[in-house]
Amino acid sequence: MSVSEKHASTAANPSASNKQAPESTEKTHFGFQQVDKSAKASMVAEVFQSVAAKYDIMNDVMSLGIHRLWKRFTIDCSGARAGHKVLDLAGGTGDLTAKFSRIVGESGEVVLADINDAMLRVGRDKLRDKGIVSNVKYVQANAEALPFPDNSFDIITIAFGLRNVTDKDKALASMYRVLKPGGRLLVLEFSKPTSEVLNKVYDAYSFHLLPKIGELVAKDGDSYKYLAESIRMHPEQDVLKDMMQGAGFEQVTYHNLTGGIVALHRGFKF
Amino acid sequence: MLVGQLLSAGIELALNQLLQLDPDCQGRLKKLSGKQLQVSVNELPWSLLFTFSGQIDVSALERNEEQAAMESSADCHITLGLGTLSDLKDSSKISQLIQQGKLDLAGDINVAQGFSNLMKELDIDWEEQLSKYTGDVVAHQTFSSVKSFFTSAQQEIDKLAAQFSTHLTQPEAVAVKPVEVDDFCEQVNVLRSASDRLEARIDQLIASQQDDQ
Repeated sequence: MSVSEKHASTAANPSASNKQAPESTEKTHFGFQQVDKSAKASMVAEVFQSVAAKYDIMNDVMSLGIHRLWKRFTIDCSGARAGHKVLDLAGGTGDLTAKFSRIVGESGEVVLADINDAMLRVGRDKLRDKGIVSNVKYVQANAEALPFPDNSFDIITIAFGLRNVTDKDKALASMYRVLKPGGRLLVLEFSKPTSEVLNKVYDAYSFHLLPKIGELVAKDGDSYKYLAESIRMHPEQDVLKDMMQGAGFEQVTYHNLTGGIVALHRGFKF
Repeated sequence: MLVGQLLSAGIELALNQLLQLDPDCQGRLKKLSGKQLQVSVNELPWSLLFTFSGQIDVSALERNEEQAAMESSADCHITLGLGTLSDLKDSSKISQLIQQGKLDLAGDINVAQGFSNLMKELDIDWEEQLSKYTGDVVAHQTFSSVKSFFTSAQQEIDKLAAQFSTHLTQPEAVAVKPVEVDDFCEQVNVLRSASDRLEARIDQLIASQQDDQ
């Protein structure tokens, strides 16, 4: 039985063009299904528990390696420099943390935070194997209630993590709280392709090919079915921009990458 | 939009691969640790930011106002044209290029010179690198053959260049040399003797024919 089947209470009407996921006070979406809000975090955790070991290789296979360029673009837009304190939220296997660690240097600090201990463990082992130890801390944390004092970080990044958060508004507010005045939040996330043709090709790829690749490589097609569904349920570019502004972020802009398949949102706290 | 990232990723990969092939460069790299060098090439839409630690990280910064503020954070910022890029190999030329107005430098010149020296002084034992894949014997033979080929080729090129140079510099011959005149005169004398003998013979034949009649 799949992760989604175990926890789904009612099935939602699947729609690939949802502008924003409808979220009642009791229910939220888990892919195309409606589930209890209290259950989503553990269901997402199971997904990532299942794919943690093959996470990096699956990212390379699924995106043909382009995810590395999306992450580079995020770092290039971060304005990170020596001495900065960076929070890599939902940092998973530590791709962004590794580079941030070298940029901020000994005088700076990077906190790799993830709600999932399996992902955190994979990330910690990977970074230690690369010799990255001195200026990186590992924290298991829920983005909705970040365990850090107010105004702690110069930069916060969340790459491919926000769509898995149950209450996104709460998470954005929490990020705003721990960001220093003058600091910036960067949200790298799957989004809505800008071209209809690309949208159709992307749909076909996501719903037909992706689960099969997941089954083949990670031996877990259901988790990658969830991935495709969760992307469609994630707020599209302008909606997320409004949500960030609603949380208090200013000068919010976004860049569409690879035709809008992915978007990088950036907002400042002043 | 991701072209800059692709470029910076390629440069970063190439630089770090080269650094790994020369273990002795770590000392020079350590001197730059924690420093940032930004290079803006006028013809490109991005600036490249080199961050030095145990390796080199390269970022592509788009040139807009927001990034302009970021530019001041680099320890050294060089602005130059594409044609001047190759001159950076020689760190002693940096001051000269600044004076000539070909290069604009803001910040610590030692960072730029340190990076230039780091790359210039790379000493990579390519034979050793090849031997990891082919074994010592094949690597040695390959490199000996290649070295021998290049030495021979160089000698041939030098010889051709010398001949060409002689041909170009030697004055055009406008008169025959004395030895050639002597040779010519000798040949004329031989021809004259032969024709005299022929004439005498013909006269003799004509005379004998008239006697018979």
